[in-house]
Amino acid sequence: MYRRFYLILLLISGVVLFAFSILAIVKELNPEWKGYQSEYKKIFIDNAEGPEADVLAKQFDIGHKQIYLKRLKRVDRCMNCHAGVENPFMSEAEVPYRRHSGDYLDKHPVAEFGCTVCHDGQGRATNMKEAHGIEFDTHWDRPVLPFTYIESSCAGCHDAEMLKNNGAIKFAAGEKLFREKGCRGCHKLAGEGGVLGKNLDGIGSRPKHYFSLRYVEGDKTAYAWLREHFVDPAKIVPDSGMKVVLNDEEADLLTVYMLTMKSGEIPKEYRRIMNYPERPVTGEALYRMYCIACHTSGEQTIYDEIFGRTIPAIMNPSFLKSINDRLLTEMIKEGRNGTQMTAWKNDAAGLGDDEIQRIVAYITRNRPEAGPEPFGFTKFSADVRAGRELYKVRCAFCHGETGRGGKGFLGIDLANPVIQGADPEFLAVTVRDGRPGTTMVPFGEKGLKLEAREITDVVAYVRTLSMKE
Amino acid sequence: MKKIIKGNIFIIFALSLMVLAFAIESPARDDDAEYAAMIESGRKVYEVRCLLCHGENGDGNGLAGIIRRAERNGRILEIYPRDLAMGVFRFRTTPTGCLPVDQDIIDIISNGVPRSFMPSYKHLPREDIKAVREYIKTFSFRWEEEEPCEPISVNRPVWAGNPDSVRKGRKIYKEMKCGECHGYTGKGDGPKSNDLKDDQGKQILPFNFTTGNLKRGSSPENVYITFTTGLDGTGMPSYEDSLNEEDRWHLVSYTLQLMKKGE
Amino acid sequence: MSEADQSGLGKFIDNIKALRTTLPGSYLRAGKPASDMTKASVMFNNFFLHIQGVRTHIYTLRPGYTLGMGLISLFLLVITVVSGILLTIYYIPSIESAYNSVKDIKYVVFAGNLTRNIHKWAGEGMIIFVILHMARVLYTGSYKKGREFNWVIGIILLAITFMINFTGYLLPWDQLSYWALVIGANIAQSLNELTDIFGLTRYFDIGGLFKELLLGGTVPGEAAIPRVYFFHIMLLPLVMFLFLGAHFWRIRKDGGLTRPDIFELDDETTVLSRPDLLQAETAVFLLTFAVVLIYSIYINAPLKELANPLIPENPARAPWYFLGLQELVSYSAFMGGIGLPALALTGLALIPYLDREPRYVGIWFSNKEGRGVALQSFFVGVIVLTGLLAITVNFGWFRDWWPDVPQLAITMINPGTLWVGFTMAWSLRTIRKTGSTRMGAIALFTMFLLSYVILTYMGTELRGPNWEFYWPHEQWPVY
Repeated sequence: MYRRFYLILLLISGVVLFAFSILAIVKELNPEWKGYQSEYKKIFIDNAEGPEADVLAKQFDIGHKQIYLKRLKRVDRCMNCHAGVENPFMSEAEVPYRRHSGDYLDKHPVAEFGCTVCHDGQGRATNMKEAHGIEFDTHWDRPVLPFTYIESSCAGCHDAEMLKNNGAIKFAAGEKLFREKGCRGCHKLAGEGGVLGKNLDGIGSRPKHYFSLRYVEGDKTAYAWLREHFVDPAKIVPDSGMKVVLNDEEADLLTVYMLTMKSGEIPKEYRRIMNYPERPVTGEALYRMYCIACHTSGEQTIYDEIFGRTIPAIMNPSFLKSINDRLLTEMIKEGRNGTQMTAWKNDAAGLGDDEIQRIVAYITRNRPEAGPEPFGFTKFSADVRAGRELYKVRCAFCHGETGRGGKGFLGIDLANPVIQGADPEFLAVTVRDGRPGTTMVPFGEKGLKLEAREITDVVAYVRTLSMKE
Repeated sequence: MKKIIKGNIFIIFALSLMVLAFAIESPARDDDAEYAAMIESGRKVYEVRCLLCHGENGDGNGLAGIIRRAERNGRILEIYPRDLAMGVFRFRTTPTGCLPVDQDIIDIISNGVPRSFMPSYKHLPREDIKAVREYIKTFSFRWEEEEPCEPISVNRPVWAGNPDSVRKGRKIYKEMKCGECHGYTGKGDGPKSNDLKDDQGKQILPFNFTTGNLKRGSSPENVYITFTTGLDGTGMPSYEDSLNEEDRWHLVSYTLQLMKKGE
Repeated sequence: MSEADQSGLGKFIDNIKALRTTLPGSYLRAGKPASDMTKASVMFNNFFLHIQGVRTHIYTLRPGYTLGMGLISLFLLVITVVSGILLTIYYIPSIESAYNSVKDIKYVVFAGNLTRNIHKWAGEGMIIFVILHMARVLYTGSYKKGREFNWVIGIILLAITFMINFTGYLLPWDQLSYWALVIGANIAQSLNELTDIFGLTRYFDIGGLFKELLLGGTVPGEAAIPRVYFFHIMLLPLVMFLFLGAHFWRIRKDGGLTRPDIFELDDETTVLSRPDLLQAETAVFLLTFAVVLIYSIYINAPLKELANPLIPENPARAPWYFLGLQELVSYSAFMGGIGLPALALTGLALIPYLDREPRYVGIWFSNKEGRGVALQSFFVGVIVLTGLLAITVNFGWFRDWWPDVPQLAITMINPGTLWVGFTMAWSLRTIRKTGSTRMGAIALFTMFLLSYVILTYMGTELRGPNWEFYWPHEQWPVY
C-alpha cells in the first residue's frame, strides 16, 4: 500500500546515511594534527643535514604522539603539532614546527617533563583551539601560559634564590614588588598578612572561573585578570578597595609572581629546592611588606577616598614623641577596631611578637630625644558636660559628632578601643600640642589657646565616646 | 540688612536686585557701631571655627596646613585651605572676574564644600554666618573697591537632560576639548590633567564626573552656573562668551549623564 | 577406504554448496519463504520478529497515522545501547579518571567524539520521542480496550528514560555533571521539606536516605560515580528492557499495532508484515540513524571544566529535560521535585481507567469535538500558565508578601500546585460540559504537555543567576 513511499524513504535515508558515514570517517582520518605533521616532515627533510639526519627525517612516522607522565598525572599530546620541539634542525623553522628556544630542554627533556607542566594548556587535546584553551568555549581551567609569565612556572620546582641567580629577572622583580608594595598589608599568604583582601594561597593555580572575567579586556583568562586588575583594580572588580596601582610593566612582573603561588602540585621527585640559611628580616622590610600600602612613608596623614577615612602619619616625629612603645605595640597587635587597621598579632594576621617589635623599632627610629612636656592630667577635675560642648564646637567638624571619623571627616576614629583605653595623659598632650605635619592642630598655648582645664574636659568627654551608640 | 530673602536658585535674579538695593542703601562702614559689632562677632566665630585652616589673616595658612587626599586612582591631591585674602572666589553666581554676591558666600558656609573637607555650618545661627561673611570681607581690599556684579540668570529649559540634548552635549564636549583635562570619558584623566595649576601655582585636579559629586552641588542649575561663570583662579574658564546658552545646557545634559544623574 | 573417503568429502562439498539454502532456511526455521504461509512463518518462527503480527492493517502503515514515534524511540534506544557499549570500553568510573577518560574518548579514540555525540543526542532524543509517542497514543485513543495496562508500562518506561538520561549526564564529571548531581541530590532530599513541617526528620530522615542512596554518601564525590555508573549501565537498562519486553508483548497480545478499531481485520485490509511492515521499519531506522549521525557530526556534546565544588555554576542547573521540574522546585522543593511529578505520573497512568469510553479507539482526537477541546485547552493553558508565571516573576510569592508564612502553606499553595489544580479543574469542567470522559483526558493531557514545554523553556532560557528572571540574551550580572 505505502510500499513505494517507504521504499523511497528507505533509499534516500540509506544513501544519506552512507554518505555521511563516509564523511565522518574521512573527517576522523584527517585530524588537524596530521596536516601539521606532514608539513613538519617536509621541512625536516629540507633542513636535515648529514646522512643520519636524512634517514631520520625520511623515517619520521606520521601518527599520534603522546607522553604519559605518571607522577605528574599528565598526558601531553602537544608534539602532535609541535613535532620539532626537540629537533636541532628546526631552530629556524616557524612555530609550531620550531625547536624549543634556549637550552631548557637539555635539563628538562620532554620525555620526562612533558610540556604542560611549564606551559599549561590542555595536554590531552589534539586540536590547537582546545589545546591552547584560551577561548571561552574551550572550557579549560588553565589556558596556555603567555610567554610573558613563563618564569612563574620555574618556581614550581626551583627556589627563589636559585632563580634569581640564574636570570629569572621577571620573577625576581615581581618578588621584590610583592615584598615592597605592602601586598600583605591586606592579603594573607601562608597564614601571614591582613584580612581586607582575598587570601593569596594557591592563587596561581586557581581555575579561571574563580575570577569574574566580565570586565577583563584581553583574553578571558586568569592571567589577564590578574594583570589588568593590578593596573586598574576598580575596572575589573567594581567595588575593589585595592590601593596599590601599578604601571603596565610592574603589573606583568607581579602577575609572574602571583602565578608562582600554586597549591603544591608538583611531586617531590621533580622539585629542586635548596635550603638556604634564613636571613633575618629587618624591621624596614617588614614595614614594606605589611604597612607601606596604606601608611606610605608614614610621615604625613592622608585622607583616603577608597577607605573613606584618614590614614594617620605613624612616623611623624610629633606622633613618636608622644607615644610610647607599649601603646604602639598594643595598637599594632590589636589593630583598630572599626577601621581598616588589621590586628597583627599572631592569632589574627600571623605576625610574631618579635616581628612586631622589629616593626615598632623601625617606626620609632627617628623618635625625638626630648619627650613631651608633661600635661598633668590628674591635676584637674574634669567636667564631662563642659567637655561635650567644647567637643561639639572645636572637634566635631573633623572627628564627627560621634567621634568615629570616617567618610568625609579628616579626623581619626576616637571611639575605637585603643584610643579609649589609652592613657588620658597621652590624649591631653596630643590635644595640647597637636600633631605638626598633620591636620591635628595644637589647641594649647601654642595654637588655639584653650586652657589646660578645657583640654582636660574635652579629653574626659572623648573618653566617654565609646559608651554611646 | 536683616531682611535678606533666603536664596532660591530659580529666583536668583530677583534676589540679586534686592541685594544690590540693600548694598546701595547700606550706611558707610567705618562709622557705624552696628557694623563694628557685627565684625567683632564675626571674628569670634571665625577664630573658633575657621582659623585653624584659613589662618589668622585669612590667607589659608592655618595651623592645620595642607590636607592630602588619595584619589581612587591612586593619585594624591594636596588641598590648600582657600586663601580668602586674594578676594578670588570659585563658587559664584556672578560672571567671571566678579566678586560673589553675599548669598554665594552664605551658601558655601552653610553647605560646605564636599570632598575638600570644608564642613557644613548649616546648624549655626544665621546671624553668625552673616557676621562671618562680613568678617571675611575685611581680608581683601577688593571688597572695598569693587561691587559684586549681578548674578547670571538661570532658566532651565524643559528639554535639558533628554537624549537628544545629551547627544548634542557630547558633541560640544568633544568640540570644546573638555576631554583634554576632564578625560575623554569624563574620568578627569585627560592628557593635560597632570599638570594643571591654580593661580597660586599649586597643583589641582580636573573634576572626575564619574564621582557624580560636584563640589558646589550637582543639580543641573549648579552645573550650568559653573559653565557660565567659570571657576576663577583655576583652569576652568567661563564659557559665557564661547558657547551660547542653549549649547551650555546641552553640555549640562551630557555631563549630568556622565555623573549618572540623567533623567 | 577411498570410496568411503570420497563419499565423505563429497557430502562435505555438497553441504558447502547447500549453505546458500540451508543457512537462511535454518535461520528462518521454515526454509526459504515461497508461499504466503511460509512468508508468514518467517514472522512467527523468528525470535526477533514474532513479537509482531503476521499481517498488518494498511491503515497502521499510513505514515501520517502513527508517525513512527514509538519505533523511533526504540531505534534511538538501540543506537544508544550500541554507542554506549563502545563508550564503556574507554570510560573509567572513578573520580580521578572519569573526566580524563572522557577527554581521551573525545581526543584520541577513533571516532570517539562522534560516538559520544551519538550516544548523547540519541539518548536525549529518546526523551522527546517517548513523550511524542505518548502524545500520539493518547490523542489517537490507543490506550483503550485492553491496552490500559500497556499505557501504565509506558509511563514507567518514560520515568526510566528520564532516570537513565540523568544518570548518564553525571558521568563525565565536569561542572555540568557535578552541579546537576547537587541539584539531583537536593531534589532527592526534598522529602525533608514535608518531614520538617511535621517535625519528623529527627526520627525518620527519608529525604536524607534517598540522597545517600543516590550519592553513596552525604556529599557528591568519590562514591557517587561508581554508583551512578551502576545505575546507568546496569540497573536501569535491566529494568528498562524488562518493561520494554512487556511493553511489546502486550502490544501483540492486546491486539497488535494500533489502528482505528472500526476497521475489521481481513485479507482485504491487511498486508503481510513481511515485507511491507519490515520495509517501513527499516526505512524509519535508517532515517533515524541518518539524522542522529548528521546531528552528531556537526554538534558536539557539551563537556565543561572539571568538576569543582569551589566554583558553583550560577545558576546550578539540572539537565534541560528537568529544568521544568527545577522551575517548580524553585517554588517548593518537595512539590516540584517529588510531589507534583509523582502526582502527574499517577494522574497520567490513571487516564485509561478513568476514561473507559469504547468509542473512537485509534482515531486522532476522536472527532471534531476532540480537536476543538485540544485546541481550546492549549490556548487556555498557555494563557493561564504564562499569566501565573508572570505573576510569580513580577510579584513573588507568599514568602515575599508575608515573611512569616508557615512553610506548609507554601508547599501546599504555590504556582506549581495551583497550576496542577487548575488543570484538574479544567478537565473536570470539560467532562461536565461535553459529557465525555475522553474529552477530559484530551484536555488534561494537552495541559500536561504544554506545561512541560513552557516550564522547560522557562527554566532553560529565562532563568539566570540565583534563579532570577532574565530575558533571553539579556546580560547576566557578575557574581
